[in-house]
Amino acid sequence: MNRIQLDAASVLLPAADGTDRQILRPTTLDLTEQRIAVIGANGSGKSTLLRLVNGLLLPSAGTVTVNGLDTARDGRAVRRQVGFVFTDPLSQLVMPTPLEDLELSLRRLYPSGSKRRTAAMDILDGFGLAPLAQNSIYELSGGERQLVALASVLAVRPGVLVLDEPSTLLDLRNTRLLRERLAGLPQQLLISTHDLELAQDCTRALVIGDGGVVFDGPPADAVARYHQLAR
Amino acid sequence: MRGHAHLIAAYHPGNSVVHRAPLRLKAAFLLVVAVVCFAGAGPFAASGALTAVVVLHFAAQLPAARLWKPIRLMLVFLLLIGAYQFWQSGPLTAWRILAGILATVLAANILTATTPVDRLLDGLARLVAPLRRFGADPERFALTVSLMLRSIPFIIGAFDDVRDAARARGLERNLRARTLPVMICTVAYARQTGEALAARGLGEAEE
Repeated sequence: MNRIQLDAASVLLPAADGTDRQILRPTTLDLTEQRIAVIGANGSGKSTLLRLVNGLLLPSAGTVTVNGLDTARDGRAVRRQVGFVFTDPLSQLVMPTPLEDLELSLRRLYPSGSKRRTAAMDILDGFGLAPLAQNSIYELSGGERQLVALASVLAVRPGVLVLDEPSTLLDLRNTRLLRERLAGLPQQLLISTHDLELAQDCTRALVIGDGGVVFDGPPADAVARYHQLAR
Repeated sequence: MRGHAHLIAAYHPGNSVVHRAPLRLKAAFLLVVAVVCFAGAGPFAASGALTAVVVLHFAAQLPAARLWKPIRLMLVFLLLIGAYQFWQSGPLTAWRILAGILATVLAANILTATTPVDRLLDGLARLVAPLRRFGADPERFALTVSLMLRSIPFIIGAFDDVRDAARARGLERNLRARTLPVMICTVAYARQTGEALAARGLGEAEE
């Protein structure tokens, strides 16, 4: 079982007028469930909370730990345990083709080039992407790109997967495919989303508002609270 | 923004004899072309090198457009260099220098077009491996070079996009409007690439 803990973690960022702006108020959480949704309005602090979890962002005060590893002190070890999937897959894909991007992920696990290529093709095949392995990432549809991005992150075998609005750029069909794919993953998932059906797939949901957690509980209740806030 | 120039410096899948050739042979070819062109060889040697590179380009079954694209990008610089050398040293020297630049750039183009990034990374890591005893990290070195190669198409694409955006607003002659956004985009791209690697726990020093 994975465990993400925030202990009075807050984030301040410098504002244009020279003062500090609070992006996330001191937040304390203990996340052990397999599927956790984070919902809330644009700019409410969802992405900030998610980025704290794999150390893409460090807390200005307080601590964030994953399985006991501090994101500030043990950043490298945390990032090897926590994969992060961005909203826009083009921000995620570093190499020009799906195959090369997968091979990049697998370099540490497979020192041999031929074994690495076979493993990359196997993963792409598992995602139904093998026929697109050598295509340019710019020739893929949004849904295909998001699946390649997911495959590339999963290839490094993280124990925790953080997804920042993974279905925002997808149509209905690709959103459904993504939901099915996520449902079958063994990793602990922390998903920020505006897709309330995706949120309902989870076992726990956090509602973020004004840079803090305003509700923490079952997804159905969280969605009701979110609707109240949006009025 | 990133997609515009993605065919430059990218791998072009194929099964030609050049694709199948060992990386070290292709790297040696690039080195020989560069040495022949810039180590005091005459215009005929540079012409020979350029001819060999063009022949190899088509032997690798690479599209003609891929030959033209880097030339088009360098055209203004080539014309300026050619005109200056013609004026200073005459036509033979101008041709020797232009043929040398073209041959070297196109030879590098063949190397990146016929070698998957992964094999390029392996080759670079092997090349730097002996420096491990001095504290070098071959994997990080290889990754850095490969990311540098990957950033070239992005920056070219950024120039194209910013030029189009400036033109759409009648600012095509405004140097600030054509360069500042490119710098901002390039810095943003560097940050984004760093985050993309961190998202997978890649590119960090081994303990």
